[in-house]
Parts: sequence; C-alpha cells; structure tokens
Amino acid sequence: MKNKIKVFRAMHDMTQEDLAVKIGVTRQTILAIEKGKYVPSLDLAFKIARHFGVNIEEVFTYDETPKTVPDE
Amino acid sequence: MKKNTFYLLIGCIALALLAIFWYSVEIENSILIEAAFIVGIVIIYFARLRVTDLIEDERSARITEKAAMRTMQIFWVIFCAFSIGAVIRLLDVPAFPPSFHPFFLPQHNTGFLPIRNIGYIQLGLLCLMIFLYVGFRIYYAKKFGDWETDEE
Repeated sequence: MKNKIKVFRAMHDMTQEDLAVKIGVTRQTILAIEKGKYVPSLDLAFKIARHFGVNIEEVFTYDETPKTVPDE
Repeated sequence: MKKNTFYLLIGCIALALLAIFWYSVEIENSILIEAAFIVGIVIIYFARLRVTDLIEDERSARITEKAAMRTMQIFWVIFCAFSIGAVIRLLDVPAFPPSFHPFFLPQHNTGFLPIRNIGYIQLGLLCLMIFLYVGFRIYYAKKFGDWETDEE
C-alpha cells in the first residue's frame, strides 16, 4: 500500500505530530504509515483522507507488486 | 496520572510483592502471596485506566495482539508438555496384584521431575513466557515502525 500522506502534509503545512494529534494516534504511527511499515485500518485511512478533505484513493493506492518480505 | 508515576507505581508494587513473597516463605503461608499478587494486578489495572498521557492507537494494539498471539502459540505447547509430565508424576498406577495405593498421593519423589521441583519449573516457564512476550513485542514493534527516524 502506497500513500501520499507526506505530500498532503506538506500541502497543508502540517507536521507528523500535528496530524497525529488531530486524528488521535501517535506520531510514530503516522511515521510508520508514511514509510510503509504499517498499513492502517480502513477507519484510520478514512480519517486521514477526510482530514485532508480528499477521497481515500487520492491518499492511498494499492500496490500490485508482490512483497519481498511477508506480512506475517 | 502521568505515565512515569504509573511506572513508578508498578515498580513499588513489584518490590512490595517481592517482600511479601519472602515473608510468605518465612511464615509458610502461600495464601498471603497469592492474594497479594491478585490485589497487585487489580491495582495496576485500575491505575492504568487513570493514566492520561499514554496514547494507545491501533498500531500499538496490533503490536500487542501479534506478540500475545505468537507467545501463546509457543508457550502453550511447552506448558502442556510440562503439565502432562507433571500429571504423570502425580498420578499413581495400580499395582498387580492389586494393593492399596491412594490415587493422588505421590509415590515417586525423585527422578527428572520430582514433585517439589514442579513449582520451580512452573516459575521458570512463567519467566520464559515473559521473555517470549517481550521478545516478540520488540520484534513486532520494530516491524511496525517503532524506532524509525525521520528527517522531520
């Protein structure tokens, strides 16, 4: 799962901490999502998209390429 | 309550439990430490509810969930194997020709798993469970992006 959170943050002039506080998670979670280490739940993904005032598919895109490291 | 106060409280409870443990050994009363342990855990549980600056989000919940699941997957096998062995030691086998043997009275108190060592081994297994959990927690925390640094 790819995302453009960093781009949207820059557009809204927000830090990771600002976004984290606004949607009720830790800064580490925002960082992990941005770096692709953690895939957020649908609920959190919608919260992030709604916060930036865009549709979810504008922030998150499904990556079709197979992973090198399995999730489990 | 602040996060650090909560951790301090846990430390105090652990020290108190250690003292009560030795006192229980001294007076040979196991009920005291068993009751104290349960009370300690209940205090920690309610204190945890009052911590205000400890944010738990879905990622931390996922880390906890995965670590707990993996710990259980390994621990139950080891614990079950030990428990079966312990039951074998506790149960008595009817003799032939039939003679009186109280069913639950331990007859064999020697060998690989003497009755008096069962408590020690259980304590060891408990420590193993804690180490497993901490290990898996560190693994999944690293996997889900803890300790990642950013240019921000």
